[in-house]
Amino acid sequence: MSAPRPASPRPAGQRLDHHTLEKYENIWFGIATVLAIFLFVTVLASFFSGTYPSLNGESGHHITGVKNGRLNPKNFAATPFATPGLRHNADGSYEAFVVAQAFQFQPAVLKVPAGQPVTIHVTSADVLHGYYVEGTNINATAIPGQVTSFTTTFRRPGTLNLICNEYCGTGHHNMINSVKVEVQEP
Amino acid sequence: MTTSPGFSPPSRSPQTPPAPSFHPPHQAPVIADAAYLAGLKKVTQYYVVTAFLALLIGTLMGPLQALNYGGINVYDNPILKALIKSYYQGLSLHGVLNALVFTQFFISGFLLYLPARDLGMKINMKFAWFTYFLMTAGLLTAAVPLLMNDATLLYTFYPPMEGSPVFYIGAAVMVGSSLLVVGQVVGMWLRWKRANPGRVTPLVAFMSVATWMMWAVASLGLVIEVVFLLIPWSLGWVAGVDPLISKTLFWWTGHAIVYFWVLPAYIAWYAFLPNHAGGRIVSEPLVRLTFVMFLLNSTPVGLHHQYADPNISATWKTMHMFLTFLIAIPSLLTAFSVAASLEDAARARGGKGLFGWMTKLPWNKPTFSAPVLAMISFILGGAGGVVNASSAFAPVIHNTAWIPGHFHITVGTATTLTFMGLSFWLIPHLTGKRLPSVKLASAAVWTWFVGMMVFALGMHWQGLYGVPRRALVSATAQNVYRDMPIEIPRMLTAISGMILLVSAVMYFYVLFRMLLSRRVDDGEVATPIPYSEVISSAGQKMAGASALVRFTEPLLALWGVALLLVLLMYGPVLARLFANAELVPGWRLY
Repeated sequence: MSAPRPASPRPAGQRLDHHTLEKYENIWFGIATVLAIFLFVTVLASFFSGTYPSLNGESGHHITGVKNGRLNPKNFAATPFATPGLRHNADGSYEAFVVAQAFQFQPAVLKVPAGQPVTIHVTSADVLHGYYVEGTNINATAIPGQVTSFTTTFRRPGTLNLICNEYCGTGHHNMINSVKVEVQEP
Repeated sequence: MTTSPGFSPPSRSPQTPPAPSFHPPHQAPVIADAAYLAGLKKVTQYYVVTAFLALLIGTLMGPLQALNYGGINVYDNPILKALIKSYYQGLSLHGVLNALVFTQFFISGFLLYLPARDLGMKINMKFAWFTYFLMTAGLLTAAVPLLMNDATLLYTFYPPMEGSPVFYIGAAVMVGSSLLVVGQVVGMWLRWKRANPGRVTPLVAFMSVATWMMWAVASLGLVIEVVFLLIPWSLGWVAGVDPLISKTLFWWTGHAIVYFWVLPAYIAWYAFLPNHAGGRIVSEPLVRLTFVMFLLNSTPVGLHHQYADPNISATWKTMHMFLTFLIAIPSLLTAFSVAASLEDAARARGGKGLFGWMTKLPWNKPTFSAPVLAMISFILGGAGGVVNASSAFAPVIHNTAWIPGHFHITVGTATTLTFMGLSFWLIPHLTGKRLPSVKLASAAVWTWFVGMMVFALGMHWQGLYGVPRRALVSATAQNVYRDMPIEIPRMLTAISGMILLVSAVMYFYVLFRMLLSRRVDDGEVATPIPYSEVISSAGQKMAGASALVRFTEPLLALWGVALLLVLLMYGPVLARLFANAELVPGWRLY
């Protein structure tokens, strides 16, 4: 963080002056601005490269009983959240419905196919919960009255821990279930 | 409500060299009314001491939490159990007392006193005391349910987890009182402006007023959330609450509040640290620009805390992300300016070499080492903050132990350690008492810094493995965390808690011995406000001032722009959320 100095040492008594500093200040201001913009551009680039698991926001849902991404947390009966789990749709796509509730996820073991895009819809039956899959960048909030949706592909088969990472009460730390990634039978 | 009779504009001392490349330290106008000055100091002292009492209780909870992240669960201990019901209650106390109470009380005293002295203005002391007692009443009201395990909501108190209405009411009164301080400081500045047409606002007053203006814009979100949504809901007047609207309003305030915590530290770094180091402030106009950037840009960035939330469009999140990156610029300018001040100081003491000059700084002086170590910590914390703000990285670390690792080296060190360092001269200045032991104070500062560095290392490291933040990870039924290869960071976190406990014991021993000792000096003479010399001054008259000074002086107009920016960046988001509001009932699961 030190300002660059002239090669020759200054004579004793001669201290930093206004003009030298102003020059360095301007250079530093320029560097800072370029840095901020560069950061922004690199994040934008990650959107296009697809490494960023963007949540499907707002009216992106077409779920029975869910309007504008909202639903009544007291009445899941009219929605697919009444029977949580994975669905294989007629068009070949996969969708999973997950309900977070103090202090476990339903289904407790979510089975998903390896190598296939899966759209996961999460909601909560009570308070806020977190939906975090260990070792991935899947990290979403489950909110009562709202549906959080995102599409992801689990590449390797195996069992991953599903951890609630938003405070939800006394048993919060025990709210750990799993996602089981299975190889598709041909 | 008039300018102090003793007001006299600071004049340049006659022995200043003819063409100086620097300006002598600003002299605060003399306040002739001794009784008024004593009263002003007293109310400031009350704020500061209340702040440190909150920090004492909050800090004592800390080591217990560090042990939890060290894999050791102490919450089943029967003695502890009698005092706190759960890890989550202890954590709520720790967060509320340290992050909300300590900071707000300290700042309300510090940034009331400084502008009043800097401008030499008289403030209405009855109003100042009323504000202090109202704020304290709010604090005590909120403390009751917190201590009774009736508000174990953590310091974010996200609904629909529901607490006692007493908690929300107390919190609203406490936070709302800070707006009375805003009114008093801005009012004082406006009176000064009217009494001194054509004058440039002195630097410390300028920074203080800008900080309070920023806080007024920032606090609106929290005030609206608590007053209009949470209080009516917790009293049962409305059937439910929309958790996403609440969370969005919370983060309107919740990110900008970190600048409310850190800007008073910046004031200390800019205005007083050069004095402690023996150097000069680099450039007043640049400091003013930095504060204007914070005024404008601190608040419309809160959505970067909500990348994981549904039903808010990615476009708005991305715009907030861009503004978040821009707010790094004034911090980078600060790093430049303050480092240049320190280099200036060190070279004046004969420091040499590209980095060798650093050895010439007074590292054993706690008024110096505290803010400088706080700054070093903030450089690392700021770098981590860029990661948190980036929506590409955030999903990896969101709500993991990384986050408390991050904010213990920002608010927990940059702010807290700076305020500790300030107490070493501010309390002698206010009370005429003396720091009982420079060595012990110095040891407290260094151990705080080391402890926090070790803590941050342990927590960032665990966070990268996905260990969640604020969870009783040492007592899970499953083996998930015990199976992770995190023995080393766990050990570091546990050790850091012990280092910090030792540091806190030393600090509070010094503080209370000082407070309980006898008055021996006149604080005005023995420990004056440590103003610094300036290399590039902003000048005193608007006529002939530089463009940068003229642009930054009309703070009232810039305040309006700041509010407009927030409405632009939050209005459409909130309008859409309100249009689709889905009220849900409350739950008490603690």
